[in-house]
Amino acid sequence: MKTSAEAVIIGGGISGCAVAYELAKKGMKDVVLLERRFLTSGATGRCGAGVRMQWGTEMNCRLSKLAIERYSRLEQELEYPRSIEFRQDGYLLAAATETEMSQFRENVALQNRLGIPSKMVTAEEAAEIVPFVNKEAILGGSFCPLDGHLNPFHTTYAYADAAKRLGAEIVCGIAVTGIETSNGRVRGVFTTGGYISAPRVVDCAGGESKSVALMAGVELPTESERHQILVTEPLAPVQGPMFMGFMHNIYCQQTPHGSFIMGRGDPSEPKDGRITSGWRFMEEMAKTCCYLLPPLKELSVIRQWAGLYNLSPDRQPIYGPVEEPEGFYLATGFSGHGFMFGPVTGLLLSECITGAPYTIDIAPLTFSRFKAAKLPAELSVV
Amino acid sequence: MMERTGAATPELLERAAPSSARRARGPVAVVECFQSIPCNPCYTFCPAGAMKPLTDITMLPEVDSERCVGCGVCVSHCPGLAIFVVDESGKDGGGVVRLPYEFTPLPETGEYVTAVDREGKPVCRAQVVRIQNEKTQDRTPVVWLKVPKPLTMEVRFFRREAFYDDKTVVCRCEELTLGELRELIRQGYRTPDEIKRVSRAGMGPCQGRTCRLLILQEAAKMTGVPPADIPVPTFRPPVKPIPLGLMLREEELE
Repeated sequence: MKTSAEAVIIGGGISGCAVAYELAKKGMKDVVLLERRFLTSGATGRCGAGVRMQWGTEMNCRLSKLAIERYSRLEQELEYPRSIEFRQDGYLLAAATETEMSQFRENVALQNRLGIPSKMVTAEEAAEIVPFVNKEAILGGSFCPLDGHLNPFHTTYAYADAAKRLGAEIVCGIAVTGIETSNGRVRGVFTTGGYISAPRVVDCAGGESKSVALMAGVELPTESERHQILVTEPLAPVQGPMFMGFMHNIYCQQTPHGSFIMGRGDPSEPKDGRITSGWRFMEEMAKTCCYLLPPLKELSVIRQWAGLYNLSPDRQPIYGPVEEPEGFYLATGFSGHGFMFGPVTGLLLSECITGAPYTIDIAPLTFSRFKAAKLPAELSVV
Repeated sequence: MMERTGAATPELLERAAPSSARRARGPVAVVECFQSIPCNPCYTFCPAGAMKPLTDITMLPEVDSERCVGCGVCVSHCPGLAIFVVDESGKDGGGVVRLPYEFTPLPETGEYVTAVDREGKPVCRAQVVRIQNEKTQDRTPVVWLKVPKPLTMEVRFFRREAFYDDKTVVCRCEELTLGELRELIRQGYRTPDEIKRVSRAGMGPCQGRTCRLLILQEAAKMTGVPPADIPVPTFRPPVKPIPLGLMLREEELE
């Protein structure tokens, strides 16, 4: 492992690997990425593998649109020898109530204004898009054909491999134990494998990003909440789009492999960092899924697991530098959507670190926004 | 160690070993059963009454070496394949290890094989001197291996030469071959966790029951990292596939 670097990135998920790649691509030498376990071992490798442009805040819409556009070209750009399984079959967002329907109408208007081709659908149209759906249970919803799916493992490996080819060093099995600062500047990182001096440190540690930031004296207003998920046995392709409902509390998509992957949120989930699996989730998920997508009750569950949503107060990412220490950067607070934003995280962080002009101005997403009293929160979150 | 590699610790093995004097007198059973599971065929089938009574079905079996005649009935009746018979009474310097072998095809009598230890590491070359496969053994053949006397307490299995190759399937659910596995390890995916994520091996209906240890062993062999130092993937519920509908409460069923 190198003993000095221009930038040290903490966390080997999609964000860290994308930042490492974009920095190396911009010509930065001596980029070191540190991962405590193995690449994708955290939230990236535990996510639902969906990507969507249908959001309720302008910023999330713009970030996700750019991210998906980049994802669609990523396999070629990164020259990855395997498939990252990118597929655009759309997301069907189902509304449970009139209030939700009118919220969706507002969202679709916003999305259309930003060039996202989403549209409102009736319950009948929804059932044509997702044939398994229980028409009685939904009022209608919105659909965007450019939303989709891709494989988090292969996507992260693709970024990591490309970063390595450009000279970045990726070290797994090494944990960060401290961050050295003096005179208001980042100086380096202490690890279980020794000290690395570095003027820039990027916190991409997902569920652990709060404790990493604390090492630099930065107190993040985030919390990590357990979210559980399960996958079924594979079935011949029957459902292309992701089926999702916020009030119904479900997301469920058939993967290219044929299995159905599904999850739901639960505000009573623990926020102490644990990622164990619970039986209550299995029961609640089965109940939700069998009600909304009745034919799936025949399918067997193969595996369940859990990961951490790193929740920010307004459910939008926290990007960029902090006031102090200088040289400490954040890519965190993704609130369950870090994988979706991966390419944009890499791009925008590399722009802010190297001083390149912004593709999307991240000023509204910096840490300092939490000084403001009231923030428009993203409501389109499961 | 047992949970990781399937191999018992030297302390446990020490307790299970019959004395060297007893082994030199003739065949004797070695019971390498170290997990308290509800199981008792070794006790109920022993014709010599050499197994100490199991008053509780989860008790670990213990053999009275003095009463054991080395008949080997327990070897094929142990569902855990944890019992062996060793014999160091041969006059030519050779000892015999009798071990249960549930793979097909069976080796030939007279065939030379690579004898391996409890962790699958090669120990010596050995000759198959007899194969017992009677109806009463219920498809658990017992293979007699002739090995050097000092190795009778080391040899616990064998590998047929060229028995597997790059086309052999390692993960049956997701159809990963040994050749593909070896290529991934060469590319730097070094732990079962990473190999699972890049190849899906272990994500199928059996949840890695077959491939988990095979991948771990191959990774250990190719990287030189001892198997006990390689992290094993999390065992995730529900262990056996169960239909979503089965988890509904009665009032939720239509």
